[in-house]
Amino acid sequence: MRKQISLAMAAAMALGMAVPAAAEGTPITFFNSKMEIQTQLEEKLQDDYAADDVTVYYSSDTVAAEMAKVYSAKTPYTVAMVDAKDIYSLGVEYGVDLSDQDWVANTTQAIEIDGKVLGFPVCVEARGLIYNKTAIEEITGEEFVPENYKTLDAFKELLDTLKEGGMESPVAIMKEDWSLAAHYLAMFYEEREDVNAYIDALYAGEADVEGDARFNSLMDTFDVLKENNYAKDAAGAAVREDSEMYLADGDVAFMFGGNWDWAVMAEFDPEGEYGIMPVPQNDAEEYYTLVGGGSKYLFVDNTEYTTDEQREAGKALLNWFANDPEGQDFLVNTCALVPAFSNIELEVADPLGQSVKAFADADMLTPSYNYLPDDHYAKLGQSMQAYLTNDLDRAGLAADIVEYWKNTTPVER
Amino acid sequence: MKKNTLSYKMAQYLMFAGVSTVLFCGVVIIPFIYGLYLTFTSWDGVSRSKPFVGLANYAAAFADADFWSAMGRTLIYSAIAVILVNIVAFLLAYMVTSGVKGQNFFRAGFFVPNLIGGIVLGYVWQFVFKRAFAALFGVSLLGTTGPNAMIALIIVSVWQYAGYMMLIYVAGFMSVSKSLVEAAQIDGCTPTQSTWYVTVPLMRSSFVQCLFLSITRCFMVYDVNLSLTNGEPAGKSIMAAMHVYNQAFTYRNYGTGQAEALILFVVCAIVGVTQVYIGKKGEVAA
Repeated sequence: MRKQISLAMAAAMALGMAVPAAAEGTPITFFNSKMEIQTQLEEKLQDDYAADDVTVYYSSDTVAAEMAKVYSAKTPYTVAMVDAKDIYSLGVEYGVDLSDQDWVANTTQAIEIDGKVLGFPVCVEARGLIYNKTAIEEITGEEFVPENYKTLDAFKELLDTLKEGGMESPVAIMKEDWSLAAHYLAMFYEEREDVNAYIDALYAGEADVEGDARFNSLMDTFDVLKENNYAKDAAGAAVREDSEMYLADGDVAFMFGGNWDWAVMAEFDPEGEYGIMPVPQNDAEEYYTLVGGGSKYLFVDNTEYTTDEQREAGKALLNWFANDPEGQDFLVNTCALVPAFSNIELEVADPLGQSVKAFADADMLTPSYNYLPDDHYAKLGQSMQAYLTNDLDRAGLAADIVEYWKNTTPVER
Repeated sequence: MKKNTLSYKMAQYLMFAGVSTVLFCGVVIIPFIYGLYLTFTSWDGVSRSKPFVGLANYAAAFADADFWSAMGRTLIYSAIAVILVNIVAFLLAYMVTSGVKGQNFFRAGFFVPNLIGGIVLGYVWQFVFKRAFAALFGVSLLGTTGPNAMIALIIVSVWQYAGYMMLIYVAGFMSVSKSLVEAAQIDGCTPTQSTWYVTVPLMRSSFVQCLFLSITRCFMVYDVNLSLTNGEPAGKSIMAAMHVYNQAFTYRNYGTGQAEALILFVVCAIVGVTQVYIGKKGEVAA
């Protein structure tokens, strides 16, 4: 018995001492802020990426809070994945100039500030109305062609047909503030020739939001979506994953969202036929585009807490994503992202990504506005939530928007 | 060695309390002073530069209507939650010290919610309020208009803290000598009267402690607020601590957020210390 115990203890010690084979190359850290690809990143970069010794981190905190934490602690990540607005606020001070990198020539989505390329675009993402083609066709009995429903009137007719065909509520609306304010409401700034001029007018309190054509057009559509929302009676209690599940299962036919929603939808029915179409509006021709662009950016730390070798390793990693066939395959197939580089010719893996790619290739992508103030999504998100639950009317929402911008310090651009 | 010299006393102090003093300074005092300094800067939380702005952050904090709404909400929530937590805790303590069968099991059972972290608790109750309520009553308690989110927060807080406060009340009940209660009953008191006129006054220190703990915890509530309601619907359940966090880290106004945190601290300290002062003044000994 004693012998067996000794053997067991020796085995336990041996297990405890066992360490993974030492990774070679320069040790670097990688911060990921895209939850849905964390496992893939860990598996690939930590276990499979041979060039350097990468450790991948993720935080459920906001990107800004995480960056504040690591820079205060003087332990920045070598490469960090942040949102576009973070590149504008952090990049100038903490980002390495990447202008001399090979991949710069192959993308239109990199972020350049004062002549320096500071942000590497991880992917292209766009928002619009996600549809379940199969569910629609099962009821209408004919092929669903999104272009036939560009206008709100045509779209309303389709919704009526779906309802008559037994789909009780054909729409799902997410109640999350970022979806309502940063994604839906923001389209009313983005859908115009000179966005900066309009934002300046908002800051100055000179814009007439209530009478604005774009605002009213988008809110007319929002009213129709709201009216047909499966969670109409408790719209503020809708659970995002439920909405995505209903859409994937065909219980609803439409949901406002973006190609990032695929990560959850694929859990329910990865074989279904889906796509993203522009939000229908009666002045459709001019605004028949998805809204989006480069999403999630990588920057390489330039502080004294990162060595030159680590910076070079960081740059090499970005290059691997953009130019190495293995890195490209990882981005497109393993992570199911729409690449932001013209030299990547791999077929996009997921149906929502395919829609986005098709619109991007056809130059039908209205660029996202990257200079919204940090509290925009939260504060106007509250107003949009109140509008969603019928606690605020359109005039009240317009007044909130005017009031918000008037009292906000302009973002430098 | 002379025992009344300063160096001897210092050595004694350092021997017994040196480590904890260093730790206390490291994690409380120094960050507090540093935070105080940051209230005079317009730091965004990340940048190397921390421009000095004088009292501008305090002016911004006093002018921040959202902060004062959150503060008002916190006051209402705290007032209701503190009263309910203490009533429920006292009744539970009364029950589990009255000789009921299996009282130790009940004591442990009522205490368990306090062992679950606030974040987990919030998600568990979110499930109950959203899914179970919807299944049972056809309506969700969260995400609907009206004060439902605040009611949900109060219910969860009572559930979380009542068991913990119960333990303090149990200690209070146990500390009252049985002979005093028996003497009162021999003098003609009913059990209710002896509890009210003898036991309760003698366990006043338990009330002081429980009120102080529940007030400070309710004022600083963040974790349950985040995981249960996340400030929804439409920001109607954002408490002061959550607003402070958002201001500092989400809206990247670190200086203003820090100034608001300091105001919250002062309000909480005034309420807590006043309550302890009043409570202690009337304490009686057996």
